[in-house]
Amino acid sequence: MKTQRVTVMAALIGLAAGCANEQRSRDTANPNVSGETLALQVCSNCHGPTGNSKSPNFPNLAGQQEAYLVAQLQGFKGRSRSDPAGYEYMWGLSHNLTDKQITELAAHFAAQKPERQQVEGKSEHIEAGKGIFTSGIPDKGIPPCASCHGPEGRGNATFPRIAGQHADYLVKQLTVFQRTNERPAATLMKTVAHNLTRENIANVADYLQAMPNL
Amino acid sequence: MRRIPVLLGEVMGALVRQALWAAILVTLWPTESTALPTFNRQTGQNCLACHAGGQYPELTPYGRLFKLTGYTMGDRTLPFSGMAVASDSKVSNTSKSDDPKADFQKNNSLIFATGSVFAAGKITDNIGAFLQVTYDNYASQSDDGKFHGHSSADNMDIRYADRSIDATHDWIWGVSANNNPSISDVWNSAPAWMQYVPVPSPTSSRFIDGTTPYPGLAAGGNLAGITAYFYWNQMLYVEAGGYRTAKGPASFMSAGVAEGDKTKLQGTNPYWRATLTHEWGPHNFMVGTTGMVADVFDDPLDTSDPNSVHHFRDIGVDAQYQYLLDPHTITVQAAYMRDHHRVPGFLADQPVFDVNGTALPNTNSADNTNVFRAKGSYIWQAKYGTSLAFFNQTGTRDSALYDPTRVGGNIAGSPAVRGWTSEVFWTPVQYLRLGVQYTVYDKYNGASHNYDGFGRNASDNNSLFFYVWGAY
Repeated sequence: MKTQRVTVMAALIGLAAGCANEQRSRDTANPNVSGETLALQVCSNCHGPTGNSKSPNFPNLAGQQEAYLVAQLQGFKGRSRSDPAGYEYMWGLSHNLTDKQITELAAHFAAQKPERQQVEGKSEHIEAGKGIFTSGIPDKGIPPCASCHGPEGRGNATFPRIAGQHADYLVKQLTVFQRTNERPAATLMKTVAHNLTRENIANVADYLQAMPNL
Repeated sequence: MRRIPVLLGEVMGALVRQALWAAILVTLWPTESTALPTFNRQTGQNCLACHAGGQYPELTPYGRLFKLTGYTMGDRTLPFSGMAVASDSKVSNTSKSDDPKADFQKNNSLIFATGSVFAAGKITDNIGAFLQVTYDNYASQSDDGKFHGHSSADNMDIRYADRSIDATHDWIWGVSANNNPSISDVWNSAPAWMQYVPVPSPTSSRFIDGTTPYPGLAAGGNLAGITAYFYWNQMLYVEAGGYRTAKGPASFMSAGVAEGDKTKLQGTNPYWRATLTHEWGPHNFMVGTTGMVADVFDDPLDTSDPNSVHHFRDIGVDAQYQYLLDPHTITVQAAYMRDHHRVPGFLADQPVFDVNGTALPNTNSADNTNVFRAKGSYIWQAKYGTSLAFFNQTGTRDSALYDPTRVGGNIAGSPAVRGWTSEVFWTPVQYLRLGVQYTVYDKYNGASHNYDGFGRNASDNNSLFFYVWGAY
């Protein structure tokens, strides 16, 4: 009986000790947990603690435009952004976030330093992608990416940073813009991507991943 | 080799029937539902976030972190889920048997095999649990041949975890109270996880893949243990702890298990685990080692004699590679376990005679058994998958293994078993998987031919296994 009492006491003490740990919480439904804490305890699992993700399944967020991040998190939370990367991973995690947490999360990742990415594409593909980025494809009515995302691809407000983004993620998102209505907030990109060929998309993605971003 | 097409031809009709049932089931299954398995509800994420290619229970790097941080990520939600497995097993040759109905119960029959209820998820910011109780629909059989179901504790893992992380370091540490050595592990090449499709109890399933040699720990489950672990910078994982008989306050960890079926341990038995992991791009790799030393009483109903224990020393190495980039999932696992087994004194050096009355060598005082297994799988779009596995068990010949009975016999006194399992599976919705496994033996109980002394060959045990596995 003594052993049982000790065990029960230890369990209760353990429970009590574990009830409140807001500085290191992974609770996505607790409004008192800061965005900074959620970024490190939750978001880092896929995006890395500094917003530089290892897996190309997950976008780099380091140095991303704050306004863009707020808009995306609101889009996930409101389920208006419904591409697979959004609903499979982000809808659930974002649905209880407060506006304050969203702002803090965006500020955290915007303040991180982007890492240089590995150059993976062939040089001729990267060169072709550079041409699309800087000059567009006038014959097809495709404007240069740089006109909205900036000459260094760092983005501006709700135009996201695309320099140093994973090529695979860029290919998938350009395909989403082109073929679906799953990102209704980006109607401009639907028009831009409409005439891109698969080769164009692959080339510009290779260039953007390789693009010096520091 | 002629037997394979014959066997496949025989079961085509049955499979068509089962596919029809499955199609009906899929049609009726809600594809958009507010009710999801408990971890889905907690994180709001798709199964494939945590399970590689959606093929539960194999974890992605993200799923591993979810578990190591104590199942505490997400919201606190209704913590209950259910799981059920329907299956059909068919043994290649049922004719070489004195009593096919007993040797191959429910052969080529679609049955509801097992069902589980889970209570799992976040309890506090640092405490979470994964508690499984399983109902075996064919747990026992009465003299009139009727089967009876029974429920008992299955996998249980209650843990406290914490994490300190910033841009320069990442420490995860925790303590797990669990009932099965390595159930706390997060890699699918660990002993408790490499075999995962539930094995039905009727004897027609005695040769399916789930019963083939897997690199496991001799002590098995229904124990009570506490392990402590840390994971440093997502590179080094170390876990160590000890296991005892599940009794007193921990008796719930073997609840429902008959006293005679419980594993009774002598004292505290050490378990350890260490892995090195690396992730780059869509690739991740793990290499690790597992071990346990256990003293298991020979008779769980009589633990009065401290000398009546089997002493097991298991040491294994394993590795896992994953390539995860939508829509592709590639997984390769390999594991090797060496088991050293010292039998109690009263079982060693005992005389054994074969069916002709000829004396065989006396029984050994200790045996070694080595199990190697490798498996590769590919899944596309988290829906369509295939895998191929190789298994090879070798070990010391021992007259104690001599068994001159038909079908299950072993006249060589050898533990050697070798073969392959191929599988295709389909996950039409994330809560449901349909799979077909075909297991081929080229050695069974030490021989390719006439292993039981009654003319049964290893290939006669080749088995087809169809399963429908749902979790909700």
